[in-house]
Amino acid sequence: MSTFDYKRPATIGEVVKLLDEYKTSAKLLLGGTDLNLMLTEDIIKADIVIDIKNIEGLDVLQIKDSNLIIGAGVTFSQIVDSPLMKEKFPVIWESSRTVASMGLRNRATITGNICSAVPSADSAPALLNRDAAVVAISSQGKREIPIEDFFTGPRKTSLLDNEMVMSIKVPEIHGKFGGSYIKMGRYRGEDLAQVGVATLATEDLNYKISYCAVGPRPLRVKEVEALLNGKEFQGELNQELKDIILRTVSPISDIRASKEYREKMCLVLLERSLKASLSRMKNGEPQYGKELL
Amino acid sequence: MKKEIIFKLNDEMVSVTVDSDELLLDVLRDKFGLKSPKRSCGRGECGACSVLLNGKSVRSCIIFAVEVAGQEIITFEGLQKEGMTDLQKSFLEHNSFQCGFCTSGVTITATEFLQKNPKPTVKEIKEALAGNLCRCTGYSSIVDAIYDYTKKKGE
Amino acid sequence: MKDYKYVGKKSIRIDGKAKVMGAAKYTDDLEFGPNLLHIAVLSSPHAHAKILGIETSEAEKVPGVKAVISGKDFPQKFGLYLRDHAIFPNDKVRYVGEQVAAVIAKTKKIAQAAVKKIQVEYEVLPNIQNALDSIKPNATLIHPNLGNYEVVPWLYPQPGTNIGHVRKIRKGEIDKAFEEADFILEDQYHVPHVVHAPMENHIAVALFDYEDRLTMWNSTQSPHTQRNILASCLNIPHKDVRVIAPYVGGGFGGKAGISMEVIAAVAAMKVPGCPVKLAWSRKEEFENSSQRQELFAKVKMGVKNDGTIIALKHELFWDVGASAEYGSNVVNATGFSAIGPYNIPNVYIDSFAIYTNRPPCGAYRGFGYSEFHFGLESHIDRIAKKLNMDPIEFRKKNAIKEGDKVAYGVEMGPTGLRECIEKVAEKIEMGKEVISDDPDKIIAKGFACAWKAPAMPPNESSAAFIKFNEDGSINILVSGMELGQGYLTSMAKIAAEVLSIPLEKIRVEHPDTDRNPYEWQTVASHTTWSSGNAVKKAAIEAKGRIIETVSRALNYKKDTLYLEDEMVKCTVDSNFSLALKDFVINGIQMKDGTFRGGPILGTGIFMPEFTSAMVDPETGQGGHPNVHYTTGAGAVEIEIDKRTGRVRVLKMAEAFDAGKVLNPDLAKGQIIGGFMQGLGTALWEEVKFDENGKILNPNFTDYKIPTTLEVPDEMYPIFVEVAQPDGPFGVRGIGEHTMIPVMPAVGNAIANALGIRLTEVPFTPERILAALEKKGK
Repeated sequence: MSTFDYKRPATIGEVVKLLDEYKTSAKLLLGGTDLNLMLTEDIIKADIVIDIKNIEGLDVLQIKDSNLIIGAGVTFSQIVDSPLMKEKFPVIWESSRTVASMGLRNRATITGNICSAVPSADSAPALLNRDAAVVAISSQGKREIPIEDFFTGPRKTSLLDNEMVMSIKVPEIHGKFGGSYIKMGRYRGEDLAQVGVATLATEDLNYKISYCAVGPRPLRVKEVEALLNGKEFQGELNQELKDIILRTVSPISDIRASKEYREKMCLVLLERSLKASLSRMKNGEPQYGKELL
Repeated sequence: MKKEIIFKLNDEMVSVTVDSDELLLDVLRDKFGLKSPKRSCGRGECGACSVLLNGKSVRSCIIFAVEVAGQEIITFEGLQKEGMTDLQKSFLEHNSFQCGFCTSGVTITATEFLQKNPKPTVKEIKEALAGNLCRCTGYSSIVDAIYDYTKKKGE
Repeated sequence: MKDYKYVGKKSIRIDGKAKVMGAAKYTDDLEFGPNLLHIAVLSSPHAHAKILGIETSEAEKVPGVKAVISGKDFPQKFGLYLRDHAIFPNDKVRYVGEQVAAVIAKTKKIAQAAVKKIQVEYEVLPNIQNALDSIKPNATLIHPNLGNYEVVPWLYPQPGTNIGHVRKIRKGEIDKAFEEADFILEDQYHVPHVVHAPMENHIAVALFDYEDRLTMWNSTQSPHTQRNILASCLNIPHKDVRVIAPYVGGGFGGKAGISMEVIAAVAAMKVPGCPVKLAWSRKEEFENSSQRQELFAKVKMGVKNDGTIIALKHELFWDVGASAEYGSNVVNATGFSAIGPYNIPNVYIDSFAIYTNRPPCGAYRGFGYSEFHFGLESHIDRIAKKLNMDPIEFRKKNAIKEGDKVAYGVEMGPTGLRECIEKVAEKIEMGKEVISDDPDKIIAKGFACAWKAPAMPPNESSAAFIKFNEDGSINILVSGMELGQGYLTSMAKIAAEVLSIPLEKIRVEHPDTDRNPYEWQTVASHTTWSSGNAVKKAAIEAKGRIIETVSRALNYKKDTLYLEDEMVKCTVDSNFSLALKDFVINGIQMKDGTFRGGPILGTGIFMPEFTSAMVDPETGQGGHPNVHYTTGAGAVEIEIDKRTGRVRVLKMAEAFDAGKVLNPDLAKGQIIGGFMQGLGTALWEEVKFDENGKILNPNFTDYKIPTTLEVPDEMYPIFVEVAQPDGPFGVRGIGEHTMIPVMPAVGNAIANALGIRLTEVPFTPERILAALEKKGK
């Protein structure tokens, strides 16, 4: 492992200064569950590692002006343990529970998860469905990046070299809704998603559908949403919808699953997720966190 | 790059000079002689190297020592300063170990979990421990010991 | 049955406190002082390549590097049964990950950096990744010098081929029997490579001191066997090789024999006076410690309409990887036993050890039996169904009984197999239908039998010393390894029962080949039986000396004296009792002030003197290769999701005939732990290679071993006790067996659920869906 300098700035101002100075040779460190491993295994190199997780205020997790603010330092455990998240952002909560294990969730952040931008990022589908925005800051100022524009490819985002993510902003939904995240791993224990799907259904039968691990980046399938909107989902996808989905997703074959299996699961999991979301919207069953596979 | 760090380790303030890329696991084992966190997967996947960082169980094999400057670390050694805990007694009675290599990590995870959830269901125990790999026991004796401990404590 | 005070009773493990308090020290936890050096190994990137040159000068120049070693320094080969494994190869590399050279340096970091500066020039050769390709006529030879390797007399390497050993069994008249059969089923089964994945990776520390003696601290199952291999391979007298074995963080066969320890040993010889440490990373553990053999099995079975099995042709093609030094014995052992626990009159078995350019394979919990039982027990269910027989009845009808002849002609010993079958079938409620509430899910059950004999050289042996201390406590010196199975507690119980001493007053010492007496290896589920026999004999000898001392000093007749509650008592004098602590070191004082007695010691040895590996190589008949078989059965209730193909085990039951259970809780732990390890191989585990022999999943990210969330909600470990006549208190081993029925039981359950027969493990959701689709067409 190449050695690097380590800095722990006290303020965001200091961070953006360092980023301007070091650009791509700087790496921002939050929980380190991904970054530290890549540094240790010599997969990436850095001149400087900027540890931002202890910056005051970055662990904010609260609603402000009808938006949930998830500070960059918020860990998955904070989300899992938060009654607010379970009540008002239950799919982000549900998907956070599927991330790795408690020992990693205590360290790993949802911001780190989206910034790593692996195709299987568990938090991405739920954030996509909630039209979240990523709040980034640099010496040029703050900007909000819609989550749909954030992922640009495997391990690639639209963040600039000198930007850091301050928070993720998620609009509140007023009115009844139900949602779900189903993750297919190789088994029930800790695993990366072979296919992950999150759906959301509102009282006026508006649907949101997003996937992870079925293409180079997490994606939302608005075409399917549009066709479903206004109708009560009957439990089975018709051929037209299936065709659209299979046209939209582009899974690969790797040692975790074949392309063909992932395609099949895109359909099976979506049906189950939509069913669960609708049912949760109506009567709250099956409860959030319950296994849906 | 060398850094001097100060942190609280098992209730004592300590200082040590480390390279910025040195792992917390190596520093605890090699510089402080605390051998309970074990080297195993090196990727945060098995839990054998678990320690408590500010009260939360974390994987010391993927944390740089510099990250814990100013923080508090408790290792398995630090949990039992006053002798065998009731949780450890329960592990002993239930034979919740075979080779014993995962035991310290399991105990660390269980300790944090039980603080958060003192009256868990069996399912919740299983979920909490799903990240601690054990190749010997098949887990049921571990889950039983934790469940039994919480039952006895509740009495 | 006699009521025992310790044997069969619940107790706290004697290593329990050490483990729950973290006092148990594993090799990496030991301190070796400031002179400790670290080793990093350069491993081969190629599966098969000629080594044209190794340039180490740049590595040697790195500050902090003490030495660089390669095959130029240490050209020897090593091996347990067949010396085909180079310490460092000089001619060619044979698998990705094979050690080519090593750097010894002040820190691991320096050693790792220096290793990158070693330059090796290779000429890449065609590589073989499949055992069936490897036995084709024009296959590249992986060991062109196979005929020159040293080998034990009961293995038969085939020079000029890639076959390291073949074991043949011919019994009865196979062709005639197939002609007479009413029904014949023939099929092939495949079990891929898996790894042991102990939580503690291999680790070795070695010191070669200025007195020319080699001391090692190893995470091992085989301290004496390692000493023997090191002494003969490195030409050091046995008395000058010392292997110390601290606690082991899991073995499962992977730490049997010797592997990376030889690298640490020779590294130490290069830097006398300095201890050197070699610790495998998890990736190295996957790439360069032994794996379980891959098996391609062909099973042909002939039966009569009444359900009698009359013929079995079982051909086993084992991929043993690049070395057969240990794996050849897996091949041998399964060759002798591949009839399974059935009475079959006409048998034809060929078991081949086939070299490939994959990591060397060796012992793995079950020693090949799990793999061949998959095909055999799948076949049994399939045939029973064809005959319209209940698979349980079919098994019971053909189950081997005491006195039946096994495949190599020897009589079967006492067995509780039928009782095991019945108890498991009852517990899992075979035949009773269970319907899922979820229309996408199907619940079904599957069953399998199992047997296994310890696979050992005919002259394996165990020894034990017992020594008393002033307070009447004892130390037991043995060289079996506590791997987690509870060996120390078992040995303590055996001594406790004979000597009437509570477990709290017994310490069983970890192996140190300088101090502790001989033990062949802690493998084969034979240690409780073999080492237990030695400990029992040592305890009986110590007891004899106690009685003799008391009799001589106090004039009681020997046959009136007995031990109870740490005291000597007398059947004819109820007032007499003498506490052991009052005399076991300092003797008994006489009226004249003199003393009788002295420190009480006991020694015990055990060797099964009835075994012989001298068999006819063409038929396997004429010898007595195995000591005994442990038999049993297992079953599962599973739930399958028809749409995703996912399998979940809801319930399991396993019963084994342990002869006599010494420690009920620990024995149950063996069933549950072994079941879960077996479940891993049934559903998830497989080492995946690319076409050039590189492992694609050398980590727990992509090699999935079971977690808490895979544990069935209901588990029923059951024991049957039909005593093993030559076992201590009737004991026979069960440690490995618990894994054996799992793959076929799950496979049979899947077949019962969906009507599909999977002939390949693991039963991944993809394979299940693919089979369902095929069936639908």
